[in-house]
Amino acid sequence: MSDFLLPYVLMIVVAFLPTEMWRSLAVYLSRDLNEGSQIIVWIRAVATALLTGIVAKLMLSPTGELALVPLWGRAGAIAVAFAAFFILRRNVIGAVLTGEAVLISAAYFSGAHFNF
Amino acid sequence: MIALALFGVGSLARDVGHPIGAAMASTLFVWAGPAQVIFYGGLAANVPLPTIALAICLSSLRFLPMTMAFLPLLRGPTTTRFTELLAAHYISITVWTESLRRLPTMPRIERVPYYFGFANACIILSALSTGIGYLLVGAVPGPLAAGLLAVTPIFFTISLTAGARIPADWIALGLGFLLEPIALVLLGPGLDLMGVGLVGGTVAFLVGGAIERRRA
Repeated sequence: MSDFLLPYVLMIVVAFLPTEMWRSLAVYLSRDLNEGSQIIVWIRAVATALLTGIVAKLMLSPTGELALVPLWGRAGAIAVAFAAFFILRRNVIGAVLTGEAVLISAAYFSGAHFNF
Repeated sequence: MIALALFGVGSLARDVGHPIGAAMASTLFVWAGPAQVIFYGGLAANVPLPTIALAICLSSLRFLPMTMAFLPLLRGPTTTRFTELLAAHYISITVWTESLRRLPTMPRIERVPYYFGFANACIILSALSTGIGYLLVGAVPGPLAAGLLAVTPIFFTISLTAGARIPADWIALGLGFLLEPIALVLLGPGLDLMGVGLVGGTVAFLVGGAIERRRA
């Protein structure tokens, strides 16, 4: 396979298909299931735990520049964003910006060795 | 917000040496921030391809219940199977939460054009943002680059919090955070998320159900 196409083929096979199969499967399965059913409640709980697990994983074993931010800065950004969401009366954008401010400040003031 | 989150994906794609076209195409095709982060992050960490595919498959499981809950809102008497498959492709956390909030108050006939207009705007802006992130990665100062990589985890924490309605949602949200460090040690970096999802989700479902029954 040519080197030019490889990144596209990998993206389609490894990332697109495993994601799209759930969306397509849902089109067929949603015909008979109603939104409030217990199976949906369970599947949503599994998906939610999995997603916050991903967040924990990204913050505990980060990649790139994020790895240079100390753990307290990464964990603190999530905790402060969560608290800010309720303090700001369920404002999603305000909460994310507050968390970002904590993270960027932690990165800036922690004395980590970034390449400017 | 999702456009900002995908800014970081551009820089991850560049880190593994993929072309800008593939990075932008990944936003149009995959259209799932965490899946794209796992894909490029996994490649950067030399994770075996089948393990990356499995991790993406599991992380994208959320689209099954999300899409199943959404389609009845969009569906009208003339909606074809093809329209539904196309609509399902655009489902993302941002598109989903906005649509669930807005569509119920709209006349059914207006929902399909509104949905595709809104979803196309989101996906095109995000693809552009992925490209800009790819080009700017070297030019962004370190702390800001760290901030961009953190948009995804912070945004997903907040969207999940905003979307949590019943006790099972809240318990699952907390258990995901608590169980992941344990699962990472017990199950390793390949199966940890599946363990967290199944154990955390099932416990949350059972305990959440018990709490609701006691209240009722």
